[in-house]
Amino acid sequence: MAANNTPAGINKEQAFGMAETEMEYRVELFNRLTQTCFNKCVDKRYKESELNMGENTCIDRCVSKYWQVNGIIGQMLNAGGQPPM
Amino acid sequence: MAASSSENDSKNEGPSSREAEQPQVAAIRMPTAEEIRAQEVWNNCAVRSVVSGVMGGGLGFFMGLFLGALDNPIMQDEMTARQQLIYNAKQMGRRSWSSAKAFAIMGLVFSAVECVVEKARAKHDTTNTVIAGCVTGGTISARGGPRAACAGCAGFAAFSVAIEKFFDRHT
Repeated sequence: MAANNTPAGINKEQAFGMAETEMEYRVELFNRLTQTCFNKCVDKRYKESELNMGENTCIDRCVSKYWQVNGIIGQMLNAGGQPPM
Repeated sequence: MAASSSENDSKNEGPSSREAEQPQVAAIRMPTAEEIRAQEVWNNCAVRSVVSGVMGGGLGFFMGLFLGALDNPIMQDEMTARQQLIYNAKQMGRRSWSSAKAFAIMGLVFSAVECVVEKARAKHDTTNTVIAGCVTGGTISARGGPRAACAGCAGFAAFSVAIEKFFDRHT
């Protein structure tokens, strides 16, 4: 849930609550992103401790795509007003 | 929580720091800027292939030196000892130079192809080794025609897979 522009006259508690919600959203996004790309890209046999080149590339691409999808869906939700379902 | 540039090693330190929880809890060490830059330099295909080519050249040089010293005809009655030494040295030098070139090309092509294929597939597999071995073997024996190239491809691919399995036998 993206933070909308706050109207004037918003008090400190509401701003704090919104910042907290935004923070939770960010933390959840980061955790979800890390988990998804780790599960997709890293081989679970753990043959070595360094990320090899294929996994590095996979993680780069995974994060980029995840971020793009996140942005697109955020825009759709913002523009539509309600989810188009 | 900083999502800046710590994706690489934070995942690596996860399992190992969990295993170290029995003796004591070790803090997760984020990679420094130098480590990240070093990793990016090493992940570059050009750098890797040049380094492999140089190492192959060194290996070929010493191998050629050794083999050139071995099979030298001893012609006692034609030349003096000093002339023979000079002849031996020249033979060793020629042999080692040609061997160094061959091995350098082998190392360069193999490493470059493997790097490019792995980056394209975004996977770490034996398929990368097979493809790289096939291309290397094919280019080495391309002079003998298409059949020799196919044979060289298959042979070198099998050889590189065997070498890789040999080096990974503990895991």
